[in-house]
Amino acid sequence: MSETTRSEHLAQVSLPVQGMTCAACVAKVEKTLKTMTGVQEVHVNLLSGKAAVTYESNQIGVPQMVKMIQDIGYEVPEEEVLLTVRGMSCAACVAKVEKTIKGMPGVTSVVVNLPAESAKIKFYPGAVDKTRIKKEIQAMGYEASEKVTGQEALDREKEARQKELRFQTRNMWIAWPLASLVMIGMFRDMWIFPYFVPEFLGNVYVLWAMTTPIAFIPGWQFFKHSWNGLKRGATDMNLLYATGIGASYLIATINTFWPDAGFGGRGAAFFESAALLTAFIVLGRYLEALTRGKTSEAIRNLMSLQAKTARVIRNGEEVEIAVDEVEIGDIVFVRPGESIPVDGEVTDGYSVVDEAMITGESMPVEKRAGSQVTGATINKTGSFKFKATRVGGETALAQIIKMVEDAQATKAPIQKLADFVAGHFIAGVHVLALIVFFFWFFIGYDAYFLPTSQFVFSPYSLAEVGVFGFALLLSVTTLIISCPCALGLATPSAIMAGTGKGAENGILFKGADAVESSSKLNAVIFDKTGTLTKGEPAVTDVFTTAGFAQDDVLRLAAITEKPSEHPLGEAIVRGAKEKGLSVGDTDDFEAIPGHGVRATYQGQTILMGNRRLMKLQKIDIGNLNQKMEQFEEEGKTAMLIAVDGKAAGIIAVADILKENAKEAVERLQQMGVQVAMITGDNRRTAEAIARQVGITTVLAEVLPQDKAAEVIKLQEKGLKVAMVGDGINDAPALAQADVGIAIGSGTDVAKETGDIILIKSDIRDVVGAIEIGRATMRKIKQNLVWAFVYNITGIPLAAGILYPFTGFLVSPELASFFMAMSSVSVTMNTLLLKRYQPSFRKDQLKTSAHSVPQPQTAR
Amino acid sequence: MNELEAKAARKSFVVYTALSLAITLIFLVITWVNGTTYTAVARIGGMFWVFILSMIVFMPIVIPVIKKKVMG
Repeated sequence: MSETTRSEHLAQVSLPVQGMTCAACVAKVEKTLKTMTGVQEVHVNLLSGKAAVTYESNQIGVPQMVKMIQDIGYEVPEEEVLLTVRGMSCAACVAKVEKTIKGMPGVTSVVVNLPAESAKIKFYPGAVDKTRIKKEIQAMGYEASEKVTGQEALDREKEARQKELRFQTRNMWIAWPLASLVMIGMFRDMWIFPYFVPEFLGNVYVLWAMTTPIAFIPGWQFFKHSWNGLKRGATDMNLLYATGIGASYLIATINTFWPDAGFGGRGAAFFESAALLTAFIVLGRYLEALTRGKTSEAIRNLMSLQAKTARVIRNGEEVEIAVDEVEIGDIVFVRPGESIPVDGEVTDGYSVVDEAMITGESMPVEKRAGSQVTGATINKTGSFKFKATRVGGETALAQIIKMVEDAQATKAPIQKLADFVAGHFIAGVHVLALIVFFFWFFIGYDAYFLPTSQFVFSPYSLAEVGVFGFALLLSVTTLIISCPCALGLATPSAIMAGTGKGAENGILFKGADAVESSSKLNAVIFDKTGTLTKGEPAVTDVFTTAGFAQDDVLRLAAITEKPSEHPLGEAIVRGAKEKGLSVGDTDDFEAIPGHGVRATYQGQTILMGNRRLMKLQKIDIGNLNQKMEQFEEEGKTAMLIAVDGKAAGIIAVADILKENAKEAVERLQQMGVQVAMITGDNRRTAEAIARQVGITTVLAEVLPQDKAAEVIKLQEKGLKVAMVGDGINDAPALAQADVGIAIGSGTDVAKETGDIILIKSDIRDVVGAIEIGRATMRKIKQNLVWAFVYNITGIPLAAGILYPFTGFLVSPELASFFMAMSSVSVTMNTLLLKRYQPSFRKDQLKTSAHSVPQPQTAR
Repeated sequence: MNELEAKAARKSFVVYTALSLAITLIFLVITWVNGTTYTAVARIGGMFWVFILSMIVFMPIVIPVIKKKVMG
């Protein structure tokens, strides 16, 4: 098949997969899907529970993939949507809607009801979505809207988690009471137990009767899943559990009913091994179900911000509709305390809005006509109306959620090692179990076995165990302790927590690799205009000669510049208005190209421009020239003003630094990061700005196309470089840098190119991004070290490496306890990241704890 | 399951079972030749365990290889 034809049929789906518990499940699903004809690429994420599949749609479809996933023991939950479909008039319409919707990939069933004007559709989320279904119906000429009131995604996820939790809770209730009784029964003859434990509890048949339900009710899930996978050539952790539980139970059963069979007899029944082994594994599953969702809380928190309904003005009336029915251009009414449903522009009213959930900024922001509002932010005090400008998947919140989800679905380079190890581990462990069995069967038992030997933390004697039973026990223990669950969880759980933490602070990492790369940064290049500076000129100085007041000079300058459309003129007008000065209209205005402007106002002739203008008009500027040079040295644009033929002063205009730029640069330098500034501006202006902010490396007069080359130069010095920019001209440098950081207020091109997006335009978030990256990587490394140490030390211990010297052995149940604790400890360690705050955020929180927040004043 | 998949499954079964039986046979041979006397239970139990583990090791290796070979 040619490349062109191939790409025509190439499709992508992101299928939700339930029931995966560890990295081996991921490997199992990936491997199974990859074996299917037509599947090109598969990426499965354990924590988000999604399988992203790229496939040839002419060779394979979503149903086959779903069936394959189900066959190996996992669930692909279906989503159901109930739509109101208006405009259908007969059975043919019903058939048409049904046929069209059924033809969409991922749709499994459609039931259209004409009298009820409804359509009940079941589909696989990720393959198709409600919006597409609705659009398809609308394209046929019918009206389609959702009957239910949103929140489904959240509820479904919660429901699935609760279902798993309920299942494992039931298993815990079966496994633990019975396993405790089995353990008491097994040790009935020891210590003080004979005094209060009834004799029948020590009876092997009773013990067998209590162990059997444990192995086959809570333990059944492991047998079922492992067999489903195995018959398709895929393995996972369940196989380790199944072989472990199965072997222990089998020995116990044989020794109970056929004590003379040579397995050690009734003295080596090991019921507690099978029972506690299952109980501990179930405990691990239960704790995982309890804690795993917490690492993805950020997404859930973001999703929960979405308003369910919106009050819009339709036909002059205020009507409440589902939020996804709001259309661009709709006028939406928001009352105090309500969540703003979609993005838009305020048309009427005044209020202050809490935007902390989107920007991380704790101060509420004033909103009046013309202000932009963002969906999911909370209206605090007044009521206002706004015009919807972005709805559905286009809103800032929807894009943030998608970006965080996408980031969490990617894999960090550091995860590749863990994935490789975990993916090949199961087969390796079984080979190891085979070697352990051969060794203890043919060599170890004869050479080292002592009838007095014991399990660690157990008074249980192995005296009656024969060669087979002994070798089998060690082989089983090796299988159990080897589970690489912790290894599989180490990286993705930390990435989820890290990207979530970033989102909470207005820092969006586009992928796991962005998190990892940001932790390694040792150089940051800032674009000047719009990044370090506000990107628009402002009046910085008003210098006057004797006899002229500052406000008068500024006012006259503003009046003179008012008709001009020059950005510098606009800056002067803005500056005067900000000072509360009245800016009247000139009686006469004339632009003098290359020199400046001349205007008359209330009989006064005002000249404003450069030295040449003053020279031309024969106006003596006296010592103003010296001041001019000083301003120019500082990178400012200085303009002379003369009133009625007399020099009145100088107005200096410059692009001013953002509030926190200096602080951010200082913090970066303290962190050992080299900071440079890049700009197309002339060197003098660039150096003036750089001096103010404390940057010594200035790359000035760099053409847009050369910015990437400057990044390469630094990379060639062995530096890991981040480029921070906002403009289209920064895009190549953003792409070239190890990490491209785009400012949220910047252009779409910059945001698309960047690896990290700062929602607020606060430069301190560059520091925050690096800090979060470093904290996440620290957590990943801690997790990986712990997981590797656990497996590296656990396996030899379980295989009996200490036995020849100490006579102690790790029992299968102790191995299962260690295994459960290893993954729980990794998850708990990751959850500590939730308490982490970037340094600036910490400072902000400290400050806000000591002061009552006031809204930011607009004017 | 389509015809190709069924063919791959049958072929895989033959290969991984044969390999597992070979390992089991090696185990059995060692029990005879290594100079130690083993009970029948130890011998049979050992063979059973070795066979199970070998199947678990070979199934995930053999199935994808054969499947790829048969189905392309």
